[in-house]
Amino acid sequence: MNGALTFCRSRGRCAIWLFVLPSLALIVGFAYGPAASAIYHSFFDWQGGESKRFIGLENFRRVWNDGVFWSSFVTIGILVVANIIKLIPSVALAVLIHRLRSDRWQYWYRVLVVIPMVVPGLVVLFVWKFFLDPNIGPVNQLLDVSGIKSLLVHVDSWCGWGVFREDLPIGWLSQPALVIPALILWGLPWISSIGVLIYLAGLSSIGQEVYEAAEIDGAGGWTRFWRIELPLILTQIRLTLVLLIIGTLQGFGLQLLLLNDTGGPGGRGMVPGLWMYNRAYAAGEFGYACALGLVLFVVILALTWVNNRLVRVDR
Amino acid sequence: MSLPADIRRLDSGKHLVILLLLGAQLFPFYMLLQTSVKDNHQFLASPWTPPLPGKWHTENFSYALKLVLPYVANTLFVALVGTLGSLAAALAGAYFFARHRGVLHRVCWAAFVLLLMMPTVMNIVPLFAQLRDMGLLNSLWALILVGMAGTQAFNLYVLRAFVEEIPRDLFDAAQIDGASHLAQILHVVLPMSLPILGTLGIVTFLGLWNDFLLPLLITRDAEKFTVGVGLVYLEGEYVKEWGRIMAAFLVASVPMVVLFLFTMKWFVRGIASGAIKG
Repeated sequence: MNGALTFCRSRGRCAIWLFVLPSLALIVGFAYGPAASAIYHSFFDWQGGESKRFIGLENFRRVWNDGVFWSSFVTIGILVVANIIKLIPSVALAVLIHRLRSDRWQYWYRVLVVIPMVVPGLVVLFVWKFFLDPNIGPVNQLLDVSGIKSLLVHVDSWCGWGVFREDLPIGWLSQPALVIPALILWGLPWISSIGVLIYLAGLSSIGQEVYEAAEIDGAGGWTRFWRIELPLILTQIRLTLVLLIIGTLQGFGLQLLLLNDTGGPGGRGMVPGLWMYNRAYAAGEFGYACALGLVLFVVILALTWVNNRLVRVDR
Repeated sequence: MSLPADIRRLDSGKHLVILLLLGAQLFPFYMLLQTSVKDNHQFLASPWTPPLPGKWHTENFSYALKLVLPYVANTLFVALVGTLGSLAAALAGAYFFARHRGVLHRVCWAAFVLLLMMPTVMNIVPLFAQLRDMGLLNSLWALILVGMAGTQAFNLYVLRAFVEEIPRDLFDAAQIDGASHLAQILHVVLPMSLPILGTLGIVTFLGLWNDFLLPLLITRDAEKFTVGVGLVYLEGEYVKEWGRIMAAFLVASVPMVVLFLFTMKWFVRGIASGAIKG
């Protein structure tokens, strides 16, 4: 008796497996396959071609001593922390829109919030790169005209940074010391369309009677925010924050496009993912890049696990 | 309705802050729009204001259209085929998981859920070698297949919950009528899950449209460039004609604007409901 036939007792039960086949083939072929291949090749000296040489744990020993890789975690750590601050304007905007009394205005502001979403992220990023251009970029022109630049120059001569100078345009993406500030600054005021929509959806569940009760108690704007509104959207804030952190840890497109695959001047913008990319495609060390990727994978997985433990996303 | 004076005053303060925040956020788009009709000389002379109506360099747009339209066609092909393929596979998979029970079934399901939480950063290096070995370098099909695979776990996860909420009676009735599994998907599942398919479709399409890293790695010839790759190369040119670049950025954004005009309702609802469910 054929094994498959005994397993599928009737034709219908067997046929149904055909329906999950495309999905399974896709994830095995293009997600689990590459992941397994990365683990396998991390033990090899591999240039990406046919030939490879088994070298045991040599790649991982190299990762352990790789100063660039570990210092790139400091950079990504700063960017992750900055994400928390970058959430504030979105939360504030959502709360302010929610508190408006006119439904019509709420609707129109919501439309304005959505507009940036229709423009590809790449375009927004490149427009900001143009904004940060030292010679003709609007950011420097604005700082010049408003006198903020001369203020910065004064502060600089006081503190002796040697970064801002009267006779030179500010090189946001060419001054090593300014690379990380520029990576944080771009996109100001960092309104996230999706974030605002999510928070507004959360806020809309607050009943009118809660506000009325707060008013009777004489609660001011701040009290209402801390006691009523923030607790209600905390779940959503956590959710966006977790997604943001994981995205930031994995991502390197931003650094690749704003700087280059060496992390910009002095390598100050080097992040772990970019170093992996750099080793694979600039140095041709595919095996080593796999080992770097694997370590990064484990770090992110561990952080995700800790995150799920610490911040239970309820509901 | 007349509000007390103090409340109206408070609201005007809110309007002011909201407008400041939104104004700052939308400022890049203003610059994008008005720079796209200037040449470099005009931009340097007056960067902040649009040029007088007679002095618009509309030829920036004929340049941009000629450059970007082939890329738009490529990207549209990838995003459209990828989205339809991803949804079709995920819907069939969701039907399987909703209607079938067993040990293997649970193992397979775990494989999808695990993928939802798995970081994918290390995949890109071996994926490149794998696609090369498959002879898919410089092919749009590579982008479609990888895109379908990358969106599979999420789409299937959402769709399964949806298919499971369809009343069993409907399936039973269809089965009595002798409907095959395929017929049940087409006549029971598909019509009922159109709204969620719309939302997932937009999210998938957006992701495929905005991807640039994989296309940048695997496309070699300009005829195969997607919009993202084309813009990266354009931005990397040494002598920058900003007006032309901005015009190209605008042309590259138009398909998304059109998509959003028609689907904004679905999209906004999708985000709101998806977020609350977590």
